[in-house]
Amino acid sequence: EEEEEDQFYMKDLPKYACAYCGIHDPACVVYCNTSKKWFCNGRGNTSGSHIINHLVRAKAKEVTLHKDGPLGETVLECYNCGCRNVFLLGFIPAKADSVVVLLCRHPCATLSNLKDMNWDPSQWQPLIQDRQFLSWLVKVPSDQDQMRSRQISAQQINKLEELWKENPDATLEDLQKPGVDEEPAQVLLRYDDAYQYQNIFGPLVKLEADYDKKLKESQTQDNMSVRWDLGLNKKRIAYFHMPKANDEMKLMHGDELRIRYIGELHKAWSGVGHVIKIPDNYSDEVAIELKSNAGVPNECTHNFVVDFVWKSTSFDRMQAAMKTFAVDETSVWGYIYHKLLGHEVEDVVLKCTLPKRFSAPGLPELNHSQVYAVKTVLQRPLSLIQGPPGTGKTVTSATIVYHLVKQNSGPALVCAPSNIAVDQLTEKIHKTGLKVVRLCAKSREAIDSPVSFLALHNQIRSMDSVPELSKLQQLKDETGELSSTDEKRYRALKKQCEKELLQAADVICCTCVGAGDPRLAKMQFRSVLIDESTQATEPECMIPVILGCRQLILVGDHCQLGPVVMCKKAARAGLSQSLFERLVVLGIRPIRLQVQYRMHPALSAFPSNIFYEGSLQNGVTAAERLRKSLDFPWPQPDKPMFFYCTNGQEEIASSGTSYLNRTEAANAEKLVTRFLRSGVKPEQIGIITPYEGQRAYQVQYMQYSGSLNKKLYQEIEVASVDAFQGREKDFIILSCVRSNEHQGIGFLNDPRRLNVALTRARYGIIIVGNPKVLSKQPLWNHLLTYYKEQKCLVEGPLSNLKESLIQFSKPRKLIN
Amino acid sequence: EHEDQVRVLSKPKADPTTEDNDFMTAFDKMMAENIQNRTQESLKVPQLDIAVPMHLRGKNKKSVACPTSLGGPVQPPSPVKEENTVSFVLMTKRGNKQQLTNLDVPISACFATKFREREEAERME
Ligand SMILES: [Zn+2]
Ligand SMILES: [Zn+2]
Ligand SMILES: [Zn+2]
Repeated sequence: EEEEEDQFYMKDLPKYACAYCGIHDPACVVYCNTSKKWFCNGRGNTSGSHIINHLVRAKAKEVTLHKDGPLGETVLECYNCGCRNVFLLGFIPAKADSVVVLLCRHPCATLSNLKDMNWDPSQWQPLIQDRQFLSWLVKVPSDQDQMRSRQISAQQINKLEELWKENPDATLEDLQKPGVDEEPAQVLLRYDDAYQYQNIFGPLVKLEADYDKKLKESQTQDNMSVRWDLGLNKKRIAYFHMPKANDEMKLMHGDELRIRYIGELHKAWSGVGHVIKIPDNYSDEVAIELKSNAGVPNECTHNFVVDFVWKSTSFDRMQAAMKTFAVDETSVWGYIYHKLLGHEVEDVVLKCTLPKRFSAPGLPELNHSQVYAVKTVLQRPLSLIQGPPGTGKTVTSATIVYHLVKQNSGPALVCAPSNIAVDQLTEKIHKTGLKVVRLCAKSREAIDSPVSFLALHNQIRSMDSVPELSKLQQLKDETGELSSTDEKRYRALKKQCEKELLQAADVICCTCVGAGDPRLAKMQFRSVLIDESTQATEPECMIPVILGCRQLILVGDHCQLGPVVMCKKAARAGLSQSLFERLVVLGIRPIRLQVQYRMHPALSAFPSNIFYEGSLQNGVTAAERLRKSLDFPWPQPDKPMFFYCTNGQEEIASSGTSYLNRTEAANAEKLVTRFLRSGVKPEQIGIITPYEGQRAYQVQYMQYSGSLNKKLYQEIEVASVDAFQGREKDFIILSCVRSNEHQGIGFLNDPRRLNVALTRARYGIIIVGNPKVLSKQPLWNHLLTYYKEQKCLVEGPLSNLKESLIQFSKPRKLIN
Repeated sequence: EHEDQVRVLSKPKADPTTEDNDFMTAFDKMMAENIQNRTQESLKVPQLDIAVPMHLRGKNKKSVACPTSLGGPVQPPSPVKEENTVSFVLMTKRGNKQQLTNLDVPISACFATKFREREEAERME
């Protein structure tokens, strides 16, 4: 069922679209009888209309009008002699009646008996005037339509006409295709049109897709041992170890793996399942739930092979969205279209009645910078909201969605690149009392979340209005499978119910890629809000946008982590720049939320100054972020922070692709134990480490070497910076891992990553690292100097921390 | 909806490029050559015999019913456009069959102006 192809809504231009610019109003296009192509009667960027440009260059002379045009399918020819050369044809009116005919200028229009026959030869008018067909014979597309179409230059027209001589099926895209080994074209700031946009981003998405496919498919693991289990839904679950699952593969819930038995104790077998567990604090095992229990060799435990089943769905949806953006003028409103492409457009203020109260029911009262954001956004067709850490981005977004729904008819579409972010926002919007549907990918339906009850597949289950569906569902749940007629009926009913629920919703929430779900294909969304849009690539953002958007709100923070692009070539060409960032460069000023409610003021000072021009105000006081009973050796009692100098060596982790640092892990454990002993709960502590190798080691080390109960350490979240984005903990320990004289500091080089790492903690932060090595990097040098000035750069045992007198390295020049 | 009006401010029309200038020259040449070749050809054309169909004679230009027209319904002349256009009937041939189609001609076309003037003059009488 989930293999259903998305391809069905890949938009294509109709055959009669202008071969130059794509305009396809039947009243505006003319068929060239010689080259068998259609052209419009608009000039675009040239001094003749496209059809005339073509006729002249191809030395063609005969044309036909479109059957759906006002004149119907008509070959233009002389009424008298049948001459079809449009360069010779013209209109002649009757002397006394409102009748016209086409006659060739010579000889028919000059025949002497014309006058005697009630025709007026002195009024002869050529069909082509000013290098264009008369506009009342073939309509000229409006300026707006011409601006919205492919912007082709005379030079490109020449090249295309040359190309057609060898290959009549060639398109403008063929002109722009790079050679095999050529670097892809760089992304631009402004684009002539959506075709150029597609032509630049299309190849980058392709590169990333190819890279991802190659990477995932190269991860085949053999000689695997498997542990079998049975799920509550009676489906078989296979557990096994996959060393690279977290770092290189970035295995995620819902991914598909294939497992094969190649031993001799059972006949050859292979089955496919969705990942339901990845390595975590509790075990390093991966688990998949098999789609079918048939023939599973669950008595065998050895000789299995596991490989990744790569899916192109997300990439296909990006490509489809860009194509729709180009060819379908109803896909986005003209204003948004031009703005996204970087064109200058006269400002538009939306007519709307501003609410009397800006805070939404069920959500916290807004502060004045949040109210300003809501108020401004409601009146603009396109807005950017920048939400620095802890500034209430999600509440603000949810409030905006509430007002959008109250003002407009039709549902709003709310997206984010990650499922976690979507869930968080879904939860908040639900609190306002709006009817929310969370649309999940079918492969993720089994995964639990705090908003599971809002998921479409679960709402259907609780729909009592269709008893037949409930009955079939029950049968399916009990027996696992339905007869083929029942299954057919079940699917039809389900589809119908899905449609009803979606159409009745005020808000539909899904990931950006999820917005390309076939179940939304026929729907139109006037208002679209994308949260964490700075973490999505542009093509990803386009998926929700092309569903009829007239009001677009991008929320994010370009000073925090950007989109993850694995293919270096694509990243270098600019795929890792988000749409939000490009719009900022284009001069659209983001509305910045100013007041942070997360961090102790001592913790927010450095990030505010370095990343936000000092603009971040504190909505919490030091007193509110002070744990009075906490017995912890902060070097400065009024500043819950320090840099813990550690000289441990980094080493390559066992997976061969990651790093670990044993001394740092030991120090982090000591800090954790101290927190736990003084009454901090494990779920209030987070350890951030940029490396998967360190994560796995840290988890193990704490559980086996920590002096407290193993269970306590298990509940401490240890994860990468990326996994912590958008989230917070009371206490954060940041373990830097890298410690070498000559190589770089890897991941930590990215200032945006440092920003995220430094802004997760509410009550206190401790950085564990090697200052000598880190201080080579200018930004880290800055940070270390700051800690030193605050007398928070320390070394020695926890029971006796002393200010460190270490000399920093000279920072290298800032490269970017 | 008023909101639909989008004014694009960028992109003033650029000066013609070399390729565009070449195109204009080629267009002029093609036009001239076609006319010249045509006049130099010795052509045998049918005897001119085009009569204005009886039912269209002297009829008011408005509401011309065209039973023989193909290509979808004939658009009734739109009242909004009426000020600026004159509805004519275009006679074409499909094979040997005569075909009549409505054609809105803007008043800016010479023969449309003339027609309108003549009509007005008749009405004054
Ligand atoms: Zn065109
Ligand atoms: Zn003729
Ligand atoms: Zn534009």
